[in-house]
Amino acid sequence: MKEIMIVAEHRRGELRDVTWELISKGRQLSEAIQGELSVALLGKGVTSLAEALKFKANRVLLIEDDRLEYYNSETYERVLTQLITERKPVLTMIGHTATGMDFAPGLAAHLKLPLATDCIGIDAKEDTFSVIRQIYGGKINAAVSFLKKGPSYMVTVRAGAFPFVEKEPLPGEVISIPSPLTDEGLARRFLQYVEAATGEVDITQADILVAVGRGIKDADSIPMVKELADTIGGVLACSRPVVDKKWLPKGCQVGTSGKTVKPKVYIAIGISGAFQHVAGMKGSGTIIAINKDPKAPIFSVAQYGIVADLFKIVPVIKDKIKELKK
Amino acid sequence: MNIIVCIKRVPDTADADISIDKSGKDIDKSGLAFDLNEWDSYAIEEAILLKEKFGGTVTVYSLGGEDSNESLRKCLAMGADDAIRLSDPAFAGGDGYATARALAEALRQKPFDLILTGTQAEDDGFGQVGAVIAEMLSIPHVSIVNRIEVQEKKVKAHRELEGGLEEVVEVDLPALLTIQTGINEPRYVSIMGIRKVAKKEIKVLGLSDLNLKPEEVGLSGSDIQLENLFLPPVGEGAEMMEGKPEEIAQKVFEILKDKGGMA
Amino acid sequence: MDFELTQEQKDIQKAAREFIQGEYDKEKILEWEKNHTFPKEVWKKACKLGFIGIHFPEEYGGQGYGITENILVVEEFCRKDSGVGIAVTLADFSSEVILRFGTPEQKKKYLVPVARGEFISGGAYTEPNHGSDITLMGTTAVRQGDSFVINGTKTFITNGTLADFFVVLCQTDPHAKPSYRGQCTILVEKGTKGLDATEITPKMGIRLTSTAELSFSDVRVPLTNLIGEENKGFYQVLEFFDESRIEIAAQGLGIAQGAFDRALDYAKQREQFGRKIVDFQITQHKLADMATKIETARLLTYKAAWNYDQGRIDPKLTSMAKMFAGKVAVEVADEAIQIFGGYGYITEYEVERFYRDAKITEIYEGTKEIQKNTIASALIGKLK
Repeated sequence: MKEIMIVAEHRRGELRDVTWELISKGRQLSEAIQGELSVALLGKGVTSLAEALKFKANRVLLIEDDRLEYYNSETYERVLTQLITERKPVLTMIGHTATGMDFAPGLAAHLKLPLATDCIGIDAKEDTFSVIRQIYGGKINAAVSFLKKGPSYMVTVRAGAFPFVEKEPLPGEVISIPSPLTDEGLARRFLQYVEAATGEVDITQADILVAVGRGIKDADSIPMVKELADTIGGVLACSRPVVDKKWLPKGCQVGTSGKTVKPKVYIAIGISGAFQHVAGMKGSGTIIAINKDPKAPIFSVAQYGIVADLFKIVPVIKDKIKELKK
Repeated sequence: MNIIVCIKRVPDTADADISIDKSGKDIDKSGLAFDLNEWDSYAIEEAILLKEKFGGTVTVYSLGGEDSNESLRKCLAMGADDAIRLSDPAFAGGDGYATARALAEALRQKPFDLILTGTQAEDDGFGQVGAVIAEMLSIPHVSIVNRIEVQEKKVKAHRELEGGLEEVVEVDLPALLTIQTGINEPRYVSIMGIRKVAKKEIKVLGLSDLNLKPEEVGLSGSDIQLENLFLPPVGEGAEMMEGKPEEIAQKVFEILKDKGGMA
Repeated sequence: MDFELTQEQKDIQKAAREFIQGEYDKEKILEWEKNHTFPKEVWKKACKLGFIGIHFPEEYGGQGYGITENILVVEEFCRKDSGVGIAVTLADFSSEVILRFGTPEQKKKYLVPVARGEFISGGAYTEPNHGSDITLMGTTAVRQGDSFVINGTKTFITNGTLADFFVVLCQTDPHAKPSYRGQCTILVEKGTKGLDATEITPKMGIRLTSTAELSFSDVRVPLTNLIGEENKGFYQVLEFFDESRIEIAAQGLGIAQGAFDRALDYAKQREQFGRKIVDFQITQHKLADMATKIETARLLTYKAAWNYDQGRIDPKLTSMAKMFAGKVAVEVADEAIQIFGGYGYITEYEVERFYRDAKITEIYEGTKEIQKNTIASALIGKLK
């Protein structure tokens, strides 16, 4: 029986969304190849997570060990090397997340498995798979095939690329597998989690968010957008480049490495719409995007688009709304 | 502390209009400005900051054609000590794995304490080269690093996770870290730096210098191969607002009132 | 013949571009423009990175490059922003008189701080009654003991209220025949008793730099402040113009390119009658003409710089470059405004500022008419 294996991702006792997305896509692929779906779950005291996953797949492969309490690329690589070597899944699917990006490339290289990273599309094709990846910051899609032939392949999957779809339960089972880990010294050790310093305002609580991106060009244009936010009773947020340049504090950042927000209205100004940003705001009620590039990916997630020079349009919108509010 | 930085020269497409060329397998690069990959500019800056603090050397590696010298020279001008370019017709068409393979072989020849790479490249976005190099060299790695503290024979690194969370780990040296943007403020290139570079030679290593066979690198050494490029579906769902700025503003006002509950 | 820049020159060009791109801050610049503020921070940083005084020898704080490298920096700075570009790259104005003719002591004392960003320099040549004609100076310097005593008025002095010292062209021998054989260049430091600078304002452009009137009333400076040989002042200044005019040509070139960049960008975005204006042939032809003019100005300017760096002084070539690049700056900025239409007339869109800044390049360091005189006299032979 052909097996597709996904590696469950969890942190601080909770499964991460990407796990459910991997399950949905994995299940569809396993059906396409008339195979079965397994979920590898590594951790300590995670039986409740195993139970939650149980009926979503044909089986949960549970490896529990005190040394797996916190994610570590080295322990993951050791455990998964054994698991994949033994079970020989045709495809191993891992999230292209901070965790997956960290361990998947090394694991694939170690096992000499062909790897395609950051996939947004995966299709089964006879004995292999074809994938779609995005390049040039999401401006171009690339159809990619595996050059090296399996029998086993590995992909990392972009978070949010495949929606979770509820399907009829499978007769799942939880199989406990003994951990191969020993006390042999690790060269990498987990120390602690820390929360990044945030600003004063909690952007996750706002009904209206006005977010600025790279298009703002310089720090001194921030007040112009802040004025718009103030006028409409919104809160200022931003995409990653604005924080990298230290124009706004980390607490304002929306996206994968920042906050996930779901305001009623989200206005994206000068934000191209890289997936890392979109992942943090696509759940917003209504999205209005202002960008001078009509081909900007942000327009594919927005409900309303304005193709304009932000420096020109933002003051006009602000003034007009001020006038209309009177 | 001897540090190695692996870098890549990429087209700057953040603000550019890009289109697919006639082959359908590449973008039309004419008219695009090229520069050091953004992540790599933070990696080289971090290496130079560490060197300034702890002494030692910074050596930069890049796999690419002669054009890549431009970015290598930039790193030298910023403060790196040496630059080495991996170049061979056999390297052409390589994916992240094949690129890592060639780089790893080159790095094997050089003693080091720390290797820094960018977390990913702006063009391919594989995000795998660093971790694969570490695997091939059997050294620990940490990816997406946004803070480094060097300690006795080890490094404490902050790794950026999702949702504003960071994971602090320590790794024994030698190690490889992939650097996230925002970790520092990359410096400008100075004229003094350029003068220094003018006298520097950039060493080129080919296949034969690296103990590699042609089938181990380039396209033939790759896991994956590009079939074709296409434009992502755009504008689905977005209703484009047109008209005078005032009319657009009026519409925005109505949406804010209607959907955002603006008072 | 090779029209390519060297690798090193390309690196310098790229470094200059990245620096000014990084420092460019539109809102700030508009504010500086409004308040006539010199961009001090940008200037200090540019000095720290070696952009200013790039053509001074290393022993005097410079980078040992030639005027070609200097104008590459000037062009890139002015291209990104005409106002900041002109203000910052003129911070070492007239330092070259000391560089070419001064004593080692003078070079150490004045050039090193200029390169380090501690001093701004100025040159005082023009007088209210003589514009570009400097053959007879109303400003006099008289020897009294171990001092020169200077009296007179200079006008339109770049960096007038900013400079830490000036190179002042004075008539030392009023009876010399011809008069220009009785002139000297003398160093006068800011704060010297009797020296007064008054900003000339408002003005059309170059508002980020100072343009002032200097008055000298019994200004006493030591005889050691004489630059080079006595009675050679006129010749020194003319020779300095052969260098500085190439720099002004590069300002014009950069301004033209910057205006063009903005016009092209705008033409690709702006829609009229349902089409991007760049799709109209009339716009395409405008852009083609602008680009051709810029390229021509660039060839002339680079050639003048290259020629100078070969150790050849050719006033004709320098004047051609200066005159032509200035003209191109004005014409291209004018056409850029036209492409922008009504928006081009609005300050926020920048091209009107490029236009106002462009105009000075046809005036200072010798008007275009003076350049034509120089060119003609070289062609025809001495007119006198």
